[in-house]
Amino acid sequence: MGLLEQMGYKNIRYYIGGMADWVEMGGPVEKMDLPVAHALPRQFIRAETSKVWSWSRWLEVLANWPLDRLVFFWLGMILVFGFVYWGAGIVMGWGLQAGNVAVKPDFEGLLTAIYFSFVTALSIGYGDVIPVGPLRILAIVEGATGLLIFGCLVSKLVSRRQEELTEEIHRTTFDDRLDRVRTNLHLVFSDLGAVLQLQAEQDVLPGQVLRRLESTVRVFRGELQTIHDLLYRNQVLPDEEALESLLANLAICLQGVIDLQSSQLNGQQRSMPLDASLHAISNLANEICGECVPRTYAPAMKQWMDQIQELARKIA
Amino acid sequence: MLESIASNTKEVSNQIATEEIVARRNDPSLLLVNVMPKEAFEEGHIPRSINLPLAQIETKARQVFPEIGRELVIYCGGPT
Repeated sequence: MGLLEQMGYKNIRYYIGGMADWVEMGGPVEKMDLPVAHALPRQFIRAETSKVWSWSRWLEVLANWPLDRLVFFWLGMILVFGFVYWGAGIVMGWGLQAGNVAVKPDFEGLLTAIYFSFVTALSIGYGDVIPVGPLRILAIVEGATGLLIFGCLVSKLVSRRQEELTEEIHRTTFDDRLDRVRTNLHLVFSDLGAVLQLQAEQDVLPGQVLRRLESTVRVFRGELQTIHDLLYRNQVLPDEEALESLLANLAICLQGVIDLQSSQLNGQQRSMPLDASLHAISNLANEICGECVPRTYAPAMKQWMDQIQELARKIA
Repeated sequence: MLESIASNTKEVSNQIATEEIVARRNDPSLLLVNVMPKEAFEEGHIPRSINLPLAQIETKARQVFPEIGRELVIYCGGPT
């Protein structure tokens, strides 16, 4: 009899294939949206995003460009504007003026136009070459755009270093955390061994030892939760070697708990908190197996996980 | 994973076929129960199913579907 049947439910059937079969048969899969998005009415969200799109969206797109692309875009823009200033001088007659004399439509004039374009885009504005008539509007547009793009460029340069640092910090804290889990599991194991030893020597454990056992099991539960989260959540994964050593340690500790249970630990000696922790450990470890974790791992890893699940079921 | 709620998968006679789930996808009397952990459930599940992680069955089942005779379909990640 299954667990739910034991609870009295009568009309139960099992879909043995589970998600794997469902996906294989081409069934639709539903994903949970963020709760915030759920809570907001649809129209509201759409109105918000479309408003943002209208003006500042392209800036965001620009900011997401890689560094070299931004530099080329910026240089290209300056050159194009330079040609426009120069061309406007030839075609319409009102171009740039250098000291009250119109810039000539020759090669030297082109260089002057490009020089003016740079001075404007960098918002230096020496004032030795000035735009005349409607060109002034164009110059202002170029100045504003140039500033924005240049700002994006500079912030990219600065934040790139920052991102590297943050990643480095993330990695180190992650490694530290794994190290701590491993050390703690080792401590748990030696503690469990010590209690087993004591138990073999004397029938009834003194209260002090029992309390220590409680705390050990609690630490074990916490570390098990960490490993469980590691396997189930989408975050950085440790390399296989580290993960395997973690799983192996975990299996050893579980075995220790089982040994402890199967020996003398009788009803009179088991306390409520100890029982609760053991129950939680069993439940958590039961969810670790090669097939039920969201990612696929190497066969060796799966074997460890399956072993852990098997052990978990032995904890009563 | 289902083994722990159904005593032994190989002997489970009350299975349901994919076709029936598809055919009755709009039938409210059929309740799909996903027993994977919350994180896995959020990543993808059969539409209209509810989440009741394996570890919480004993404590929460009564709250989630109080009706004893309710038609339930239990599933998890895959055939285990």
